[in-house]
Amino acid sequence: MAYTRKNVWELGGVWADPILWYARGVKAMKARALSEPTGWRFYAAIHGIDQDLWRQLGYLSSGDAMPGSGDIETYWSQCQHGSWYFLPWHRGYLLAFEAVVRDAVVKLGGPSDWALPYWNYFKQNQDALPPAFASAHWPDGQGDNPLYVPQRYGPNNDGGVYVPVNMINLNALGDPDFSGVASGGSPGFGGVNTGFSHGGQVHGGIETQPHDWVHGLVGGGDPQSNLPGLMSDPDTAGLDPVFWLHHANVDRLWEVWRKNPTSHLDPTDANWVNGPLVVGGGSFVLPMPGGVSWTYTPGQMSDLSQLNYTYDDVSPPSATPEMVARLERLGVTLETANALARSTAMAGPKTVELLGANNESLRVIGTEAGTSVTLDTAVQRKVSTSLETAGAAGKPAPDRIFLNLQNVRGLNDATAFSVYINVPEGEDPVQHPELLAGSIALFGVRKATLADGEHAGDGLTFVFEITQIIDAMHLAGALNVSQLRVRLVPVKPVPEAAQISIGRISIFRQST
Amino acid sequence: MGRAAHWPDTWLVVLGSIILLAWWLLARDSGGSMVSTFCSSDTLWAVPLSLRLDLVLMLVSPAQLASGSALMIAAMMLPLVIAPLRHVRDRSFARQRARATILFTAGYVVVWMIVAIVLQLIAVAARWAVPTPLLCFALAVITAILWQVSPTKQWCLNRCHRRPHLAAFGAAADRDAFDFGLTNGASCAGSCWALMLLTLLIQGQMLGMIAVTLFIFAEQLEGPAQLKWRWRGPSKALRIAVAQVRMRLTIARAKIL
Repeated sequence: MAYTRKNVWELGGVWADPILWYARGVKAMKARALSEPTGWRFYAAIHGIDQDLWRQLGYLSSGDAMPGSGDIETYWSQCQHGSWYFLPWHRGYLLAFEAVVRDAVVKLGGPSDWALPYWNYFKQNQDALPPAFASAHWPDGQGDNPLYVPQRYGPNNDGGVYVPVNMINLNALGDPDFSGVASGGSPGFGGVNTGFSHGGQVHGGIETQPHDWVHGLVGGGDPQSNLPGLMSDPDTAGLDPVFWLHHANVDRLWEVWRKNPTSHLDPTDANWVNGPLVVGGGSFVLPMPGGVSWTYTPGQMSDLSQLNYTYDDVSPPSATPEMVARLERLGVTLETANALARSTAMAGPKTVELLGANNESLRVIGTEAGTSVTLDTAVQRKVSTSLETAGAAGKPAPDRIFLNLQNVRGLNDATAFSVYINVPEGEDPVQHPELLAGSIALFGVRKATLADGEHAGDGLTFVFEITQIIDAMHLAGALNVSQLRVRLVPVKPVPEAAQISIGRISIFRQST
Repeated sequence: MGRAAHWPDTWLVVLGSIILLAWWLLARDSGGSMVSTFCSSDTLWAVPLSLRLDLVLMLVSPAQLASGSALMIAAMMLPLVIAPLRHVRDRSFARQRARATILFTAGYVVVWMIVAIVLQLIAVAARWAVPTPLLCFALAVITAILWQVSPTKQWCLNRCHRRPHLAAFGAAADRDAFDFGLTNGASCAGSCWALMLLTLLIQGQMLGMIAVTLFIFAEQLEGPAQLKWRWRGPSKALRIAVAQVRMRLTIARAKIL
């Protein structure tokens, strides 16, 4: 039987059967002890756990018996972020979780074809938290709805939970490459090949947007205690039932990318196919119903038909691939644009080089921060030449341009801001969506800032593609500038206590 | 990305060549220009330490001392700069990468030269204080093990993984590359000094030096970790080696069948 994951907003009602059975399944999992591998908190800890934070948020108490050290070692804190394993690990995590919920649903007399719904916040009027998650009550009015968690504060930290659609995007779907680089160019659709190192500083395209953003803004933070909302921190995110619907959507977007166009291919590198085990990491292993465990590899996660499930909608957001659309905007004929897009997809390693940078680190406090990125004239000339010769015989597709926020450090994962390029002085950036480089939520920044943590205190690096902005400047004859102004506009004022800083803001060109 | 195979970067080839050349020279000299080798004869063990040091410095010229240290550092420590150098180069303008590479390496080597000379003098003092070679070696092994399991060693290892932000333009870029070399070198020296001392006390034996180099290189593949007393070694490198061999055998077997 192939299972079909459906849009939570189109199930036919707030408490349509799939969501009602999800709630019952979650309730059954929550009733299990922390030490039970198919329990709710055990499953959340597979993603990550910070015991102090769990205690402060009321999810761990002295009465809880911890699992055996073997179970903790095998299962907990496996989540893959800042890595090209991000998508396949989470796909397996969803599949195993879905199997555990389905097992509970069936035991309660529910449908055997139950599948996890997804939350497609990109669709019109579907950006609000699905109502079944927003109420403390079951449909019959009883007040212990397991889908509701109080630690969900939303983008304004006021409990109003929604995803600001003007700040999320599907730009990653236009990236022709699954894997990218950590050297300033595209981090790829699926993330960076982290080689033999542990999780990297750079999040992949789909991980940055919409994944991180939705985490940070749905979770938010408690303005009183300054504790993060569950979704805001990787060590608590799995405790929120909406986590799974968000990740189902990210998983769906992987399938959208693979199908549109079909030249989008998952890596074939043996180190990806076989997973982190072959580069000195651990196996992907998850507990399944019946007391068994399931070990899987990224290579086994590529093909949905082999995994026995599908999505009700994997249509692309636009009929024209982004690269073709870009070339047409630059005046290249459709035929040449299609040929260039095909050749680019098959091209080998790209050249990435620094184009410009700001001069000193930047603290983000209050409602806005800004800096100027000085451009190197010689490299700028290369970019201009590549744009001027777009579509000419024998020339590759023009350069892609990336803005990097490097060494982003801080203590508050719920911090989120938008980054704008060259907004005219005195004007409101929000009125210039065409100058929006991207929006980020600092999901994972707290842990990445710890000097003796996985990132050695270096923080995170975020990469935005700003090709479209540079193209527009070129078409307007305004690319010959020595500096680009960068403005950061937090969604809500950033307190000084959050200690958010950006080591360097720089711009890179990537040849195609 | 990267559907086509590509050759190693030029800078990696240059770095690799320097490392191999250093090993070749060490093998040819059997570490002959190092102070510890001079002391290995034990002919002077009975004299006071101050006199012994004076004699050492009289018989081994500063140039010999420096060249011996430089060779040892080039052979054993330069493999560790590949990852931080990649960071420096990635964050520099393409035309300034060579300059940044040299500045980082200069900072790194300056620290190590000082540490190597100090370690050589400590080795002399150790041989004077504990004239029995086996006992001296045993004490050095115990010191190395104690350091290896200490939280302070982990503190240093964690700092070896630091990849700071670097200025891109002008003198600030030069200064940052050099400073990063200094701090990375200092972290590395803090992490590796006990093993290097051990190497000096085994009087430049090639097998021992190779073993220590591999150990140091392999242990840096481990990621940063919490500070605590525990054994730390190259377990990840071993896992990688085993898994890669197994994977390649599986692929080869599949191709044959």
